[in-house]
Amino acid sequence: MEFQSCFDIIGPIMVGPSSSHTAGVVSIGKFIYELLGDYPQETNIVFYDSFAETYQGHGTDKALIGGLLGMDTDDSRIKYALEKAKECGMQYQFEFENDCEYIDHPNTTIVTAKRGDRVVKVGGVSLGGGLSKIFLIDDEMVAIRLSAGDDFSILASPYQPKGKALVKAI
Amino acid sequence: MMEIQSMKELIEACHREKKSIGEIMLMMEAEKSGKDEGTIISMMEERLIKMKEAVDSGIKDASTAPSGISGGDAVKMSEYVHQGKSLSGDYISNAMSFSLATSESNARMGVIVATPTAGAAGILPGVLFSLHKNDGTPYHELVKGLFTASMLGLVIANRSFISGAAGGCQAEVGSATAMAAGTIVELKGGTPQQVVNATAIAMKSLLGLVCDPVGGLVEVPCIKRNVIGTSIAFSAADMSLAGVKSRIPCDEVIEAMYKVGKDMPRTLRETALGGLAMTETGKEVKERLFCRKS
Ligand code: SF4
Repeated sequence: MEFQSCFDIIGPIMVGPSSSHTAGVVSIGKFIYELLGDYPQETNIVFYDSFAETYQGHGTDKALIGGLLGMDTDDSRIKYALEKAKECGMQYQFEFENDCEYIDHPNTTIVTAKRGDRVVKVGGVSLGGGLSKIFLIDDEMVAIRLSAGDDFSILASPYQPKGKALVKAI
Repeated sequence: MMEIQSMKELIEACHREKKSIGEIMLMMEAEKSGKDEGTIISMMEERLIKMKEAVDSGIKDASTAPSGISGGDAVKMSEYVHQGKSLSGDYISNAMSFSLATSESNARMGVIVATPTAGAAGILPGVLFSLHKNDGTPYHELVKGLFTASMLGLVIANRSFISGAAGGCQAEVGSATAMAAGTIVELKGGTPQQVVNATAIAMKSLLGLVCDPVGGLVEVPCIKRNVIGTSIAFSAADMSLAGVKSRIPCDEVIEAMYKVGKDMPRTLRETALGGLAMTETGKEVKERLFCRKS
């Protein structure tokens, strides 16, 4: 059962307009932010299916970039995430595809993100109601459930790329 | 640990534990999360407060959304209701105003609570704050109602879907309306069986509803569907409280919703490639707003 908690249904508290195309996507971005330990300097984002068709209307692009910058779902700055990214010097690029080879779900994205010597490729789906799932990290299939209230740094820590561990050790 | 996978199991659990649906939810949440009930209740209170804030700010905000295709209707509606002109009666009229206020705030990228999604965020607050206004249902009862709603929503979400992209608007506005109908019944003292029955009646009324947002924006027809959802919720609740039964059990209705959603073409599942999104006016709006797609 994907939905476990009453707060998966009543919640998240979020900026609009869409829980699947805005809030759930902020969480995917935030997970990647935690994975890298900071916002990426460069990122390539592929939107599939419904995300590719309607991302502008739902601010899906702003949501993902906002998450990558470390924002939470109820952060009222998400509206201005693209401007924020420019201020931080984050380079981003969007691509659009119909179907994803790894998973069959209309709300899918694959993000490649780079910070220093650390590069991660992460696949996420937004399941609806603000709940998301990470299904891919680098080339490994995973199933990490993301709900807005969770501590993503704990969820991300087992998957952190080696570069980070080295940096920490020094 | 208690797992509830169907409405049938839910009603059985209520009888066994001698608890309401909302109380079962609270108990399960405490078991699963390890948090004490007081903490969980205050987390839910926080959500009710955010809902109230969205209603209060939306009801007096006449500004349009960035898209230019929504906004200002909550103000119109509440003025009309104030003048005593409305035909639908106080409960439904107020719910309509509050639901417009919430959904318009959502379109402005304001802070709302997804119930169960942002697209359907107007229905539950509309219904709850209307109960409060019209019969003085206290806020702590409304919080209990949110537990009822989430229990119903959990069963629906795990047996079917709650997002327009996955199952059409029946999954989104349909589920929210069904949750709201059941919640009204529980807050009005109905039995768990009556709660589930109201849920079934409401969901049946919205079965097959497609997701066709103009320009892909959660505004047209979404906002007005939230408003109408509140009136369906009250009608379904009234029927159930009057003793009218759904001939099809709720679990089977949910199953039907799942199958209908699976059969729905991709064009009618939040891609903005069909339905109202592809009407002449719908296309004009899309063209005016965006220029990405060739
Ligand atoms: S039409 Fe689609 S986007 Fe709009 S409320 Fe219904 S499911 Fe949500």
